[in-house]
Amino acid sequence: MRSSRRDFLARSVQMGVLLGAGVPLLQACGGDTQRTKVSKPIADGLQPEKGPLRIINYDDYVSPDVIADFEREYGVSVEITIITTDSEATTKLASGAIQADVHHSIANYTVGALVERGWLQPLNKSYLTNRGNVLANFDDPWYDAGSTYTVPYTFFGTGLGYRRDRIDPADVEADGWDALWNATGFKGQVSVLDDEREALVMAMLRRGLTDVNTTDQAVIDQALADLVELIDSVNVKVNIQGYQDLPEGTSTIAQVWSADPVTGAINYLPEGVPAEVLGFWHPPAGEYVVANDNIGIVSNAANPVLAHLYIDYLLDNAVSEKNFSYLGYLPALTKLDADYLIGQGYVPEHLRNCVPTSEEIAQALVFKPLSNEGRALYETAWSKFKTGG
Amino acid sequence: MTAVVTSGKRRSTAVWATFALPGVAWLVAFFLVSVYAVMAVAFGSVDPLLRTTVPQWNPLQWDYAAMRNVLDRVFGGDLGHVFVRTGAFVGSALLGCIVVGYPVAYFVARKAHRHRGLLLVALVLPFWISYLMRMLAWANLLQPDGYVNRILSWLPFFDTHRTWLDGDWYTVVIGLVYGYVPFFILPLYATLERIDGRLIEAGRDLGASSFSTFVHVTLPLSIPGLMAASVITILPMCGDYYTNTYLSRGSPRTEMVGNQIDYFLRNSSQPQTGASLVLLLMAFLFVLMVYYLVITVRQQRAAER
Amino acid sequence: MNPFRRRRHGSAPVLAMLTWVYILWSLLPVLIAVRISFNSGKSKSSFQSTSFRWYWGDLNSSVWHSDELHTAMLNTLKIAALCMLIATPIGVAMAIGLQRWRGKLSNAANGLMLVPIVTPEIVFGVALFLVFTQMYTGLPSGITRQVLGHVTFTLSFVVVIIRSRLAAIGTQYEEAARDLGASRLQAIRLVLLPLLSPAIFASVMVVFATSIDDFVISSFLSTGAATDTVPIKIYGGAKGSSTPALNALATVMLLFTMAAVALAALAVRAMNRRGGEPVGAAGGLAGLSG
Repeated sequence: MRSSRRDFLARSVQMGVLLGAGVPLLQACGGDTQRTKVSKPIADGLQPEKGPLRIINYDDYVSPDVIADFEREYGVSVEITIITTDSEATTKLASGAIQADVHHSIANYTVGALVERGWLQPLNKSYLTNRGNVLANFDDPWYDAGSTYTVPYTFFGTGLGYRRDRIDPADVEADGWDALWNATGFKGQVSVLDDEREALVMAMLRRGLTDVNTTDQAVIDQALADLVELIDSVNVKVNIQGYQDLPEGTSTIAQVWSADPVTGAINYLPEGVPAEVLGFWHPPAGEYVVANDNIGIVSNAANPVLAHLYIDYLLDNAVSEKNFSYLGYLPALTKLDADYLIGQGYVPEHLRNCVPTSEEIAQALVFKPLSNEGRALYETAWSKFKTGG
Repeated sequence: MTAVVTSGKRRSTAVWATFALPGVAWLVAFFLVSVYAVMAVAFGSVDPLLRTTVPQWNPLQWDYAAMRNVLDRVFGGDLGHVFVRTGAFVGSALLGCIVVGYPVAYFVARKAHRHRGLLLVALVLPFWISYLMRMLAWANLLQPDGYVNRILSWLPFFDTHRTWLDGDWYTVVIGLVYGYVPFFILPLYATLERIDGRLIEAGRDLGASSFSTFVHVTLPLSIPGLMAASVITILPMCGDYYTNTYLSRGSPRTEMVGNQIDYFLRNSSQPQTGASLVLLLMAFLFVLMVYYLVITVRQQRAAER
Repeated sequence: MNPFRRRRHGSAPVLAMLTWVYILWSLLPVLIAVRISFNSGKSKSSFQSTSFRWYWGDLNSSVWHSDELHTAMLNTLKIAALCMLIATPIGVAMAIGLQRWRGKLSNAANGLMLVPIVTPEIVFGVALFLVFTQMYTGLPSGITRQVLGHVTFTLSFVVVIIRSRLAAIGTQYEEAARDLGASRLQAIRLVLLPLLSPAIFASVMVVFATSIDDFVISSFLSTGAATDTVPIKIYGGAKGSSTPALNALATVMLLFTMAAVALAALAVRAMNRRGGEPVGAAGGLAGLSG
């Protein structure tokens, strides 16, 4: 019996090795088609295709009503392929697993790579009659010279969301980022964003370091140590649910994107809880990280003209307003500024600072793409933080 | 005569091998190849611009750097804690599954005659609401003003303002038990239902108390089912990463191996690290499985003797 | 009090109570999920106020109106059904084969059967994604690949469950059938399979539940709007977050199931009343000997 057991193990190993070695023969070669940058947009004045228009986007990151209106207006159907992370979209596009026309929500730091590897096509601005509605800040953004390949979709800064009925706004204003470290009276009701760069950089900003793209090991280690401190002092949570946890009250102070308190006020307040309980703080211009998501057209789109028309449709002021009223994420349009949104009743006056101003965008700190080695420093630190320090 | 027996034996071997063949072929074609793909990721590289995996299919060119880092972090580093924590969570949850699941499976299989159909339906009903959604519902129940605290407030000695979702191990363990106990009960039920009633009656007739009959007759006979049920629940729990995330709102105090694997494989520029973690977890679990196999084989041999 | 005490022909009240308490416990979150389907706001974990917004009120996102939800639900059910239909027969045959097959290769096959169980779900997603996009590129994409993935993931569960029952059954029933002149296949079909039915039921449910809950494999192997499933929508993403429409959808599915189960129960009762023939292993044996 003992010998049979040993025999079995030996056999399994042999069989595994044999089969394993056979695999490389099975496959010819990775379907890695190295594409090159696409520099020619489609011609002017083409007729739109019949669709269906295929969009890659996060789930529920565009108003279904806006999509339905577009379908009606252009007599086409729209299919949205759901992704859960920015890198999932890249992986699936690059492997040819998904075919799409519009990439709806590209992170700034991914735009360059997609352009360089030929996955986005230049936009033909003759189709984008509403392009002039976009904030001038995004005319020539750092990630896309001359706005050649993308238009901005939504934008948001990173700050602290908190409950004004539990923490004195004056204290948060005075403490800044330290308010998170000082929230020892609210153990378990404190959270940071589940994003390695956002969270680690917050710890750096708290110490006055504004190089948000640093790859200095010592700086990252210090940021990690500062975050680890939060585990014991405030029993910190790591998630992106601030938009929901703050209105519902399970969270008292949280690192959030500026759109979160707004969408929280629109969609997540329990009955009888006034929007006044929600507060937002962000660092002064020059220390304020502002990011945006971008829309682009995939290079091998089957419906490039329709894709242009869709983008143009989204840039319409009225359409954008409708989209915003559902999402709570700010569109980068000049007309939809803080005054307008407050006037229309979407944003409560006391959350005015959730809408980054033109000056704040102009002076914003931005996350640039890092080398894989640089990213790995952040990722490893983050992994250590998540293990509990 | 001998020749007849041998050929009969050979034919019987061929018959049973044929039965197993489709399954084996399937696993070779899809599973073994997948494991090889994980190795190709673990020992491969990453596109410098797009940060997508570039698997290295040729074993001669494998790069073991990520695996070495992972081993360093697991043995004597921070990831070691995560493995230990995962083991502790899963062990406690398995214990919970046995305590909750065994009596239920036993009752449904052996005692519930009239209502068995109804009970079976009730047992599988939760499957219709997605696991993630039920976890969200738990998060609702466990809120400070949720029903759990309201019910507990009727009992003496309970802190009615208990916070459950603060990254406590017991909340995660309760969540795991809740999530996986239906998977535990069903296989166990399938075995318990088969146990020959006459053996139990015999035990009783020999004067054993019903408890003693249970310990000496029913329990040993149910070991194969208990093993199968445990295997089916332990192993997925080891790779689970959403139960703890949902029930602690992402507290670093409840981080399990599955979370780290998910992070590195789905959302980082180091999928090699994720794949290495996977290989390591599989190696740990494989040791458990070999133990299961040895026991199964031993029982089978004993049964045939 | 001894929980296992019972009068010879009585029941076990303590065990019965434990079982019903367990069932209530297991259904409590289900009830909460159902209640949240009537939420007026977008929260899936906290109740805001009552409305039918997610059933039909919302013109584009409600269960009644959303084509996306219909597609996702159909995909989920289709994948689960196909997975059940493929994994269960292959798994049952494999379990029977592995239980009896003696020889050196069989040991290797036994080992092979167990490794998928030690493999975290996410591996199937990541690895099969690579396998399908770089090796088996000829396979049709979408649902086919998702089904292949789910079957690979669940096959071993079936084998393990069936084998535990096989061990409890032993070989005497089949031998009796063979002695009565049944061929090997007849013995399996008429005696063994009926005896295995509770384990087959358990396997089918485990496969089904695993498949309809699976997020990782479906998500990695999904190739577009036409192949997204309900769990992918529930899981949400880095930005948007799904709505209680999913709770409403689950509630509707739950009601359908309960109705189907009730109908099936009525049908079985009607059939039993009409033909009084005993079913199961005893019936099979009786049929053979008679």
